[in-house]
Amino acid sequence: MPLYILRLSLDHTSFRIPSLLSISQVFNFPIRFVSQDLYRGLLVIELEKEEDVNHLLERETLLLSVTELYAQGSTYEELHAEMSQHLDILQPYRQKSFKFTLEGVNHRVIESRIRDTVESFAYTALEGKIQMKNPDVEFVIYEDYQWQAAHTVQARVSRDGNFKHVYFGRRIGFGRARTLATSHDVKNRAYYGNTSMDSHMGFLMAGQALPAPGKLIYDPFVGTGSMLYAVAHWGAYVLGSDIDGRQIRGKMKGKEVKPGILRAAEQYGIEDRFIDCLTYDVTRSPIRTGGWVDAIITDPPYGVRAGAKRTGRKEGGKPLREEPYLLPDGTYSHKREDYLPPSRPYELANLTLDLVQLARWLLVPGGRLVFFLPTVNEDYQEVDVPVVEGMKELKIGQGSIQDFGKWGRRLITMEKTALDDGPPPTFEDHDEFDIKNQPEHLPGHFGFRDRYAAGFAPRTIGDSGSASPAVETPAILVPGVTTRNEQGK
Amino acid sequence: MVRLITHNMLACHVKNCTKDNFPLSFSEVELVIRPAPENLEFIQRFLPKLDWTALVDTARSLGDETLPENMPEEWSEDQLKALHHVLMEMHVEEGNMTCRGCGHVYPISNGIPNMLLAEHEVGR
Repeated sequence: MPLYILRLSLDHTSFRIPSLLSISQVFNFPIRFVSQDLYRGLLVIELEKEEDVNHLLERETLLLSVTELYAQGSTYEELHAEMSQHLDILQPYRQKSFKFTLEGVNHRVIESRIRDTVESFAYTALEGKIQMKNPDVEFVIYEDYQWQAAHTVQARVSRDGNFKHVYFGRRIGFGRARTLATSHDVKNRAYYGNTSMDSHMGFLMAGQALPAPGKLIYDPFVGTGSMLYAVAHWGAYVLGSDIDGRQIRGKMKGKEVKPGILRAAEQYGIEDRFIDCLTYDVTRSPIRTGGWVDAIITDPPYGVRAGAKRTGRKEGGKPLREEPYLLPDGTYSHKREDYLPPSRPYELANLTLDLVQLARWLLVPGGRLVFFLPTVNEDYQEVDVPVVEGMKELKIGQGSIQDFGKWGRRLITMEKTALDDGPPPTFEDHDEFDIKNQPEHLPGHFGFRDRYAAGFAPRTIGDSGSASPAVETPAILVPGVTTRNEQGK
Repeated sequence: MVRLITHNMLACHVKNCTKDNFPLSFSEVELVIRPAPENLEFIQRFLPKLDWTALVDTARSLGDETLPENMPEEWSEDQLKALHHVLMEMHVEEGNMTCRGCGHVYPISNGIPNMLLAEHEVGR
């Protein structure tokens, strides 16, 4: 079966393999990774048919170009030896106009060497016309170098030719999804907010939800809709809800005003795929039944710019009213047009577990849940990703992580393995995250907002002020509450 | 927006409201028809999730009589197209959705329903 060289961007490398696999799943074709190292600028894969390359070129935002692999080696001698064994592979292109391109990966090849290198392929005995503009066939030589800073001409010259590996093949095409990050750039979007997701990351996330025409994808924390534009771009119907309807609508008021989310959708030509956007609290939601959503994709509010809220009153504050409140003017408070029910913070650990339980109920069997989980790197453990019966995490290697130093966000992809809907989640606060119960481990995303504000100071407070708690009596874990002398500065 | 496909999945969720809480009934409706590209495969796949009686009653309350009383066992293409029209092309832009059980009114403005509950309706 044919091998192909993918020339890939070195951005977001931990998102690369999941992204390629998701495309192969949407279009139902097998993909086998041949390269030992999956994270270099060149990746060799095996596909059954050349048509499948087209799906990758169409969808993969990290993909620069694809070349059919003819021969390779750690030196040109090895490459030529292999190539001269099967020159018949060139038969269909022998009479076609062509050109040769020499590309360095992690290095810009010195111009004076290009001509000699190309001429060393003279034995291929191509008879077509050499044509630099729009040739019928483009042959590509890739020299793959180790990454190394080379800021001077001397440095560049001295490492020229000292590549790790060299490949030869025929260019199939260039990635067409590369421009999506620019065309969907948040800065040029008709409507966005301060929590809108970066457009490229939006597309990388979207791919994990396996979007395709005729699928229905839901974001329960839709905000300004930035998770939905990319999935809708790939043809899916989308549905969003948020406790804060102002995020959906935008500032403009009036009867004829189009909601902000729809204005951006209109800009991208996907307005008819926005089935509905609704204002409600997902923990008190009007959804009557489960098992009908193909994917849930969301960037949960984790509190740095916008805190997660749910209806209710803060613990220790006034209890919730049992009866409607009659205002002095004789009207009920909740009947007023500007009425907003009281809200309380929605702790991220509770929210995350609820989200997985919601997906367990709402998704179709095999449906996916895709979300970002922010986490304090030092405290992160494998067990932090909620485990719910009937939901399975799909993870490649260490998982997809955007690392910001002390914290990072992990892209979590889960699949519903259960075949039934099960009961709807109760959205009760979960005891295991209640610090009153002195849990031995709190997830790396617990109390994220306070920890962010505190500069991610360690959260363990031993009674003696020591950093390591006694083993027999687990220290009380107080998230975000660290006094200065205990940080050790 | 507020399409009937969404409306069919929503029930009143006020605390202790469990009788006649579905479907919500429309009133003072401003209806807009927006043609949408057909995906009949999607419609067909969604069928088992629909509450047919609720859908037919709601469509009729909005003046669309094209759906048969009982859900057809075999679907013709024309029937699927009619269903596509009802589910995907009828948008309630303004109006109210009222619970027939407890009387809670969920107002719709600019196509977005406000389904937040009042404090005393939340429970707990």
